[in-house]
Amino acid sequence: MTPNGAVIFGFVIIAGALVARDVVSLMVILAITLIFAFGSRQRIWSALLWSTGIVLPLALFMGLVWIGIVGRAPHEIAANVEGSRAAAAVYTAVICLRLFIIAFAIQAAFLHFPGWTPLRFVAALTAPQIAKKLLVLTLSLIDTILQAVDRARTALIAAGIITRRQSWRNLRPGWILVQTVWLTVVTIAIGRTRDKWPVEDTLARLDRTLGGAAPRLGGADFAWAALAIAGAAMALGMR
Amino acid sequence: MGEFIAGANFSGRSAALMARLRERAPAFFIGPYAEAALSGLSSTVADEIAIYRSANSSRPAFAPLDFPAYAARKPPTLSGGEQVLLALHCFSRSDYAAIGIDTALEQLDPGNRDGALAYLSRGAAHGFTAALIDNRLACPPGWASHELTGTTADFACDLAAIHAAPRAAPAIGVHDLSFRYPGGRDIFRDVDLLLEPGRAYRLTGPNGIGKTTLIKLLAGVLGPTAGALTLDGGAYAPWRSGNRVFALATQNPDHQWCGATLAEDLARRRAALARHSVSLPSDEELAKLASCLGIRSLDQHLYELPLVARKRLSWLWPLAGAMPWIMLDEPTLGQDRPTRAALADAIGRLTAQGHGALFVTHDDAFAARIDHRPLRLANETVLS
Repeated sequence: MTPNGAVIFGFVIIAGALVARDVVSLMVILAITLIFAFGSRQRIWSALLWSTGIVLPLALFMGLVWIGIVGRAPHEIAANVEGSRAAAAVYTAVICLRLFIIAFAIQAAFLHFPGWTPLRFVAALTAPQIAKKLLVLTLSLIDTILQAVDRARTALIAAGIITRRQSWRNLRPGWILVQTVWLTVVTIAIGRTRDKWPVEDTLARLDRTLGGAAPRLGGADFAWAALAIAGAAMALGMR
Repeated sequence: MGEFIAGANFSGRSAALMARLRERAPAFFIGPYAEAALSGLSSTVADEIAIYRSANSSRPAFAPLDFPAYAARKPPTLSGGEQVLLALHCFSRSDYAAIGIDTALEQLDPGNRDGALAYLSRGAAHGFTAALIDNRLACPPGWASHELTGTTADFACDLAAIHAAPRAAPAIGVHDLSFRYPGGRDIFRDVDLLLEPGRAYRLTGPNGIGKTTLIKLLAGVLGPTAGALTLDGGAYAPWRSGNRVFALATQNPDHQWCGATLAEDLARRRAALARHSVSLPSDEELAKLASCLGIRSLDQHLYELPLVARKRLSWLWPLAGAMPWIMLDEPTLGQDRPTRAALADAIGRLTAQGHGALFVTHDDAFAARIDHRPLRLANETVLS
């Protein structure tokens, strides 16, 4: 499979999840995504856990609000009917399942490229050079923020302001952590953009690294894309 | 031929180096810390190398580390010395015709430092020029020296004026301590160690062996996978209860600030340590101490200071004597000879007053000025 094929599959699955209106069609799309993930011949537990972790806070919040407090689904409120908690539960399940499929499809796509580095993946995409550079810069910014979180935690733990172990006591100085993280991000960015990047013309090196022709779509790409399109079409038909 | 830019702190060496590199631009630059050593565009070591690799480069690779084994690591997770070695490796695979290094080699262990200098000294044969700032070196043979004599009194420091009150520090016991980063190899296995008060200890070992990791374990920034710490024989778990023993000055000073201004940083530390009943010097005393380190106002915005001044200011907390033990990670980076000597003497005075000190340095001359016991890290343990 090629990165372009994985992106096409991901886009179609996400589109299918967005147009699907009921649990059944979403389950079909989820099944296709699971088959795709298993097709990578990699362990998928980590991808499933991450996707669950992403969806769980939303599921808890929506469950509390729609099922627990409101007790009706939004379409029932719009139609001014009495409604039921069961309908609210279905509504919550659809929204959460949709988000779960989106998160899982993205991770399943990357499962097909074990050992690939982010730069190699981006380089193999068919996209304008400027879009690829923007993608690399975005990934770089995410890494910088993660690095800043680590640095800020080190500073605050060493100073005794927070503890390494999760604790309620860490909540109060949480805003100090946020401020420290942003100060750190700015410092790191300034350090790079003031000295290193201008004198090296570092960004220009990405032109060469990201250049070159993307690999052509192969049989596997077309097969997976066809399966995804079938799932999305079915979801569209069941609306 | 390489160019060695010599001079005291604040003599304009860094500006001179950057001017040289701009004349020869594009030129590779390795600054004192990671954000000015690595591109920041890569998520892995393999990508960092790929960004700089050039098919046109015919120079031999500088590869002191097994970089394929590091391929999947995130560059910021490497130790400071390893980051410098990675940057040098990237340069050796690139087609840049010039390289400038601003004090970064001071982070390297003696073996890697000699290797790096030897590689840079062969620049003419490999088709590149090098410009170097290094506080611990005289001009290497065959290099042109460019001496800068000017300086500024703006950040002049007076470490000799710093005196801490006597202190009875606790003995630190390390018992069967093991540690590994998630998904990584063992860094420490069943380490036993006793750190006695009133003494200074120097952690030594090659780049990447775990010196900073041990410091982070003692400060509670990391938690061990097994083992325990004790204070005078009593249980102590800073990763659970918080650090109340070690005043840490990190290798990169920007890893330790807790606020935007010095006053904010100090106020937050004061509030945190009050929970542990740790008494702190007054603001007036801390302002006086900051002045001795070259910073005239507590309202100074930390990130507006030059890096050398920030590094000096990072010693404030340890030298304030508020905590019984002080830990300094590569405290001399970027500092000129008189400042290094003055810092060594200040550490000596602290230990004479009963404080304990633990420091990491590759600077033998600095360490020799402090009466200390070496602790060598090797084979996942600490040899005393």
